[in-house]
Amino acid sequence: METALTPALGAAAQNITAEEFDALVRRHQRRVHRLLLMLLRDPDEADNLTQECFLRAYQSMSGFRGECSLETWLLRIAANLARDHMRSRRTSFWKRLLGLDGDGDDGWAETVPTRQASPEQSLLAREEVRAVWEAANTLSQQQRAVFLLRFVEEMELNEIATVLGLQVGSVKTHLFRALQSVRGKLKDLR
Amino acid sequence: MNPNGNTHDPLVERALMGFDLAAEHHLANCQPCQDERERVEEALRLFGAAKREYANRPESFWEQQAQRIRAAGNERARKSSVALMLTPGLAVLLLIGAALLSRVPNSLPSSAIASSPTTAKLDRLSDHELLLEVERAVQSDTPLSLEPAMLMVEENDSGMPLSSSNARKEPHTHEN
Repeated sequence: METALTPALGAAAQNITAEEFDALVRRHQRRVHRLLLMLLRDPDEADNLTQECFLRAYQSMSGFRGECSLETWLLRIAANLARDHMRSRRTSFWKRLLGLDGDGDDGWAETVPTRQASPEQSLLAREEVRAVWEAANTLSQQQRAVFLLRFVEEMELNEIATVLGLQVGSVKTHLFRALQSVRGKLKDLR
Repeated sequence: MNPNGNTHDPLVERALMGFDLAAEHHLANCQPCQDERERVEEALRLFGAAKREYANRPESFWEQQAQRIRAAGNERARKSSVALMLTPGLAVLLLIGAALLSRVPNSLPSSAIASSPTTAKLDRLSDHELLLEVERAVQSDTPLSLEPAMLMVEENDSGMPLSSSNARKEPHTHEN
């Protein structure tokens, strides 16, 4: 079916209709948005780049050769957009100056699922999550991305390598160092 | 806390990364490391759940975002179609411009030739006069453009007084 969106696609329009694309957006937007929010720690930028991610995917749909899942491919586009955005020093400078950088940890504690038996255990669990959260924020960009994809998105190492465009060996190295930092923080708690 | 923490830590971290045969073998025989792995795994599991919950949005947010993506796609498509419509027009304009530019170099030499004195003179002559001029130039052995210089040479040869430049070459005396 021809729609207003179709002419912009060129060759890609032969592969996917606007309705199919709309369904694709609805299916994958949560995960794409979550990844961008985790990497950028800025809800507004995550919104903008989620939109850009899907538009780019739509325009280059003909380039998708099925070497990975569609979701992995979308997450790779999102990770590339986030990386390019983070390289934009001017943006981050003004964000930092205006205090807009960071995901604002306000209210994070309420999001910790507490299935602990006692209030003490629940408190300890919250403290441990806080320690991991803080440790994750101090990691380098690559280590943080690998760590979040592994423990928030629960992705396999080879999937992480595909999304971030790294070798599996590099992913292992980043993850090992990230875990060392996080465990260090957890040890300080005890 | 694992009393052998420093030496066993890498094995715990390797076990946390995913399946690792050597690490699993060690943890199977080291209860403190096994406990440590379970503790950290639980913290990481809670962290992941908290992050996912933190990133969660109400259904209306996702609906609005899908609409924004659709609207942005339509806007981009509209701009693209406008550009596609303008492209043939721009191509025609470029062709016209190129044609005009290719004409200018042809007209310039002709105007330049017409404005030179010799050509203006030749233009004024009739065909017969032109033939006479050509005949005279051939017989004179002197190109038309060198005729003034030739006249000066003839003047010198015919014993006319020396020019001021030659007069300066005379030796000066201080007898007076």
